Amino acid sequence: MTEEEQEELVMFLERDQLVFDTSRPVARVPFSRRMSAALWTLRVFVILVSAMVIYTFISKLGS
Amino acid sequence: MTPPPSIGAPALRASIAEPAFEGAGEAVADHAPLTPEDLARSHDRFRVYNARRQRRRWSLLWLLIGPGILAMLGENDGPSMISYATTGATYGLGFFLPFIVVTFAMAIVCQEMAMRVGAVTHRGYGELVLQRFGRLWGWFTAGDLIVTNLVTLIAEFVAIRVGLSFFHLGAGVAALLGVVLVVFTLSGGRYWRWERIVLGMAVFNGLFLVAAIMVKPHWGAVGHAFSTFSPFPGGSFNTLLLLVASTIGATVTPWMIFFQQSASADKGLTPSDLRHGRYDTIAGGVLAALFGCGALIAGAALFGHGGSNIHGLAGAGFPGALKLVSGNGVATVFALGLIEAGAVAILTISASTGYAVGECIGVPHSFNNSARKALAFYGANVGAALIAAAIILIPGAPLLSIALNANVLATALLPVALVFLIMLANDRELMGKWTNTAATNRVALAIVAFISICGAAYGIDSFLQTVHII
Repeated sequence: MTEEEQEELVMFLERDQLVFDTSRPVARVPFSRRMSAALWTLRVFVILVSAMVIYTFISKLGS
Repeated sequence: MTPPPSIGAPALRASIAEPAFEGAGEAVADHAPLTPEDLARSHDRFRVYNARRQRRRWSLLWLLIGPGILAMLGENDGPSMISYATTGATYGLGFFLPFIVVTFAMAIVCQEMAMRVGAVTHRGYGELVLQRFGRLWGWFTAGDLIVTNLVTLIAEFVAIRVGLSFFHLGAGVAALLGVVLVVFTLSGGRYWRWERIVLGMAVFNGLFLVAAIMVKPHWGAVGHAFSTFSPFPGGSFNTLLLLVASTIGATVTPWMIFFQQSASADKGLTPSDLRHGRYDTIAGGVLAALFGCGALIAGAALFGHGGSNIHGLAGAGFPGALKLVSGNGVATVFALGLIEAGAVAILTISASTGYAVGECIGVPHSFNNSARKALAFYGANVGAALIAAAIILIPGAPLLSIALNANVLATALLPVALVFLIMLANDRELMGKWTNTAATNRVALAIVAFISICGAAYGIDSFLQTVHII
């Protein structure tokens, strides 16, 4: 495929679909304190529940 | 070739809210370096463009379906189908039959968001969380995914092993089959090829529906269960919680979110494809609910025949027990279904691991790349399958318990992944006019609350029983 054909074919992609574009990181959004606290609460909750599930699983293996 | 008008939805641009139908050639006007991945994807987009221009509706649908059906049928995996069959064998036809449909309705809401974010931003879930919310949160979600994926992959190999054992084949064959399938599907270097092979295999998830018809269920009882959500299961509260949590974990999981968003981006979906992306997701959800109910109805044939004693994956329990109660034909179909369910899930879950690893370490992560170009993506894909395959070969490993707990662990870890997905889908800077509606947000937050409560209820109740507090 010639370079010209390649360029013509690539026109069927959206501009921001090109690897060149998607490899550029998007900007980070800062969290407010409230949002950060809510996310950490959820994170700790999930870890605690997972730990309980894993503990139960291991205990049942032992018995 | 007639160049297409670009809908032009570049992420993070102020103009995203008012898509400009800019002229063709904008992409190359920037002199962005073209990669083989771009060329492969533009081949696929060329076909989509032609189908749309020539108003070939069925052809367009055929070209655009894939990620939604694969995510949904991939989640109708070995442990899920065994979980449904266990529920049927333990409680018969009742509450859990319509409950499966409810959980898939929840899955459709979540997966539609993942598809939409992938199509609009052209980026995977892992990379967006990592870049938008910081490395810590990105790695947390990727870590959750890798843990649950590894556990689930082991369970998929166990399901294949259970299915094969009905045909007197051992663990070695199961391990080899899974790994060979992963390597074979990866070998083409094209997303389209991978997707079509896995879709072709996923069709055989319908074997569970065939099994359900073959057991000749009492259709009146099926209709009664759907219309009344009853009879409500009795017995141990903890067992009920386990089955509720594992049924949720059998329909909505972290890997599905990673997979559908990344696959939608990899396939090259754009905002103009959102309608078809929704059809794809809904079709996947409907098929998966239908086949999941099939597994439960087939399992319910064992209700009253000591079905409650077949604890999930107890050896080749289900096919063997079905053979005694409903005949060899049903047992063979069920065993083949388990092999299919495990095999398709190995492919999709390995893919989601590959996407997550590639996105989080910031290296090429597309099926449209060669293995040399995307070493980490291909390596994670094969590596995850290899580790799981190796574990099922360890003599005496607690495979059955791992398989039963895989869905519950996925349920416990899901709320964080869902919250980040909702945040991404509401990010106006990223999504422009394609952000969630208020109604979608209400439903999505209710789903997060419901899943959190169910996961926590099982986790806490089991833990308190284990430490003998209750």
